Amino acid sequence: MAVEKKHFTCVICPIGCEIDVELQGSDVVSMKGEKCAKGREFVLQELEEPMRILTTTIRIKGAKWAMLPVRTDEPIPKRSLFRVIEELANIELQAPVKMSDVIIRDIAGTGANIVATRNMKRDKKDKFA
Amino acid sequence: MEADVTVIGSGPAGLVAALQADRSGARNVLLLEREEELGGILKQCIHNGFGLEQFKKDYTGPEYAERLIEEIENTNVRYLLNTMVIALSPDRTITAVNPEQGEFQIKSKSVVLAMGCRERSRGSINIPGTRPAGIYTAGVAQRFVNIDGYLPGKEIVILGSGDIGLIMARRLALEGAQVKGVYEIMNYPGGLKRNIVQCLNDFNIPLYLSHTVTEIRGKERVEGVVISRVDEKMQPIGGSEQFVACDTLLLSVGLIPENELSKQAGIELSPITKGPITTETMETGVPGIFSCGNVSTVFDLVDYVAQTGMTAGRNAARFASAAWKKEKNSVEVIPGENVRVLFPQRYSFEDDLIFFIRCARPIEGPVRIDISPLEIHFKKLYARPNEMIRVKVPQDKLRDITGSIEVDITER
Repeated sequence: MAVEKKHFTCVICPIGCEIDVELQGSDVVSMKGEKCAKGREFVLQELEEPMRILTTTIRIKGAKWAMLPVRTDEPIPKRSLFRVIEELANIELQAPVKMSDVIIRDIAGTGANIVATRNMKRDKKDKFA
Repeated sequence: MEADVTVIGSGPAGLVAALQADRSGARNVLLLEREEELGGILKQCIHNGFGLEQFKKDYTGPEYAERLIEEIENTNVRYLLNTMVIALSPDRTITAVNPEQGEFQIKSKSVVLAMGCRERSRGSINIPGTRPAGIYTAGVAQRFVNIDGYLPGKEIVILGSGDIGLIMARRLALEGAQVKGVYEIMNYPGGLKRNIVQCLNDFNIPLYLSHTVTEIRGKERVEGVVISRVDEKMQPIGGSEQFVACDTLLLSVGLIPENELSKQAGIELSPITKGPITTETMETGVPGIFSCGNVSTVFDLVDYVAQTGMTAGRNAARFASAAWKKEKNSVEVIPGENVRVLFPQRYSFEDDLIFFIRCARPIEGPVRIDISPLEIHFKKLYARPNEMIRVKVPQDKLRDITGSIEVDITER
């Protein structure tokens, strides 16, 4: 089987090691450029399933602002980012919301929860409320 | 109105300064904010990566702000919202205005400047062309998307690879816009490496180094931009022009400390940092006026901003309590070989000296940072202009300095 080459920039710390990997199928034949074990772990995770924290916003009514900032409470597979975003696009919340409130459990089957990242009080000034 | 310590601005620097002043024993701490809530720009920075050092947590901007605001609520710090400071005098009299009190004055024993910075705009980089709708600074677009819920456009070109531009590239891609590319005039990226990877590479957004926008086209709305390659002197290369169709141009071309009040108070500014010249205590050239965070110099990390806020708050409290030596000897701190930005600019023998250093050109290999005339040096794995270097020299090593202190970065 042919050897496949892949390149990664590690984002675990600010150094940002440039890491070259040679693969045969799914087996790592060689890895070069990582300055610590965390870099190796990072690359193995990227090869298996890249994971990311998602931060975004959800529409909210009855608050001072139009959007409530939210995040996933743990990293989710990179390939599911847009699926999550699409699901959140259909949601509209009602103020008040407290920081760390769980807005949606197990979003899009990722196992992660969507949580609020700030307090948003009820505000009578919102003419749309 | 009277106060022991008055802090102007409630972003990360101001919040931390007010907290620290209170904890250091100042009885009457007043925090002034021109917007309708505390937190400053953190409220629109909904991405994570805040407070890794200070709290050992990976907070988003709003979470980081809420944590500090909660602490403020549990202290005796008073704060005024919707309150704009319109004048500051060298005797620390503040003139402010708000809807409840109209115009009023505050006599404060000490003052902490924490006004932050603002974005450079089209005017400051002189892009030729028409003046259509659809040209925004990256931070304004960030506010539209994250707070007001508007998408600024569908086909986006980003000029400049500063962190806010990179963060917005990802944000707009997630919200369904097509980000056509990020164009950077320098031959290295402006933002942190992790942002290049997670914001551009993850979303297949191309980054073009040594490129710039040389013309904006469109009558009512942006229809596209002309992109040119630039030479080593950053001059556009004739014949390299290409047209890129887009409806929106975002500018992420640098930040400038906001120092109108500092100038009014007669505070001397540094031509390099564009902020007040301060000592390691964060005191400016005008006694009793301290400055911290991005109004002093533009930092890369909120942790660094918070650290200067803490120092300014602590010392402002000392000044207000009279536990402060008013006549102080200080020496100059000078940027040497391959140092573009050096903060603080003076040393007054009161505390450890924590340097924030930005190199002039990148060195991708082992470097040493020499502090002369002290025989102290620090080793680092690399030096990059987009990543400030922070080093600490203990006070007892500095006791015998009489002349100036110089900082050099060289390959080792």
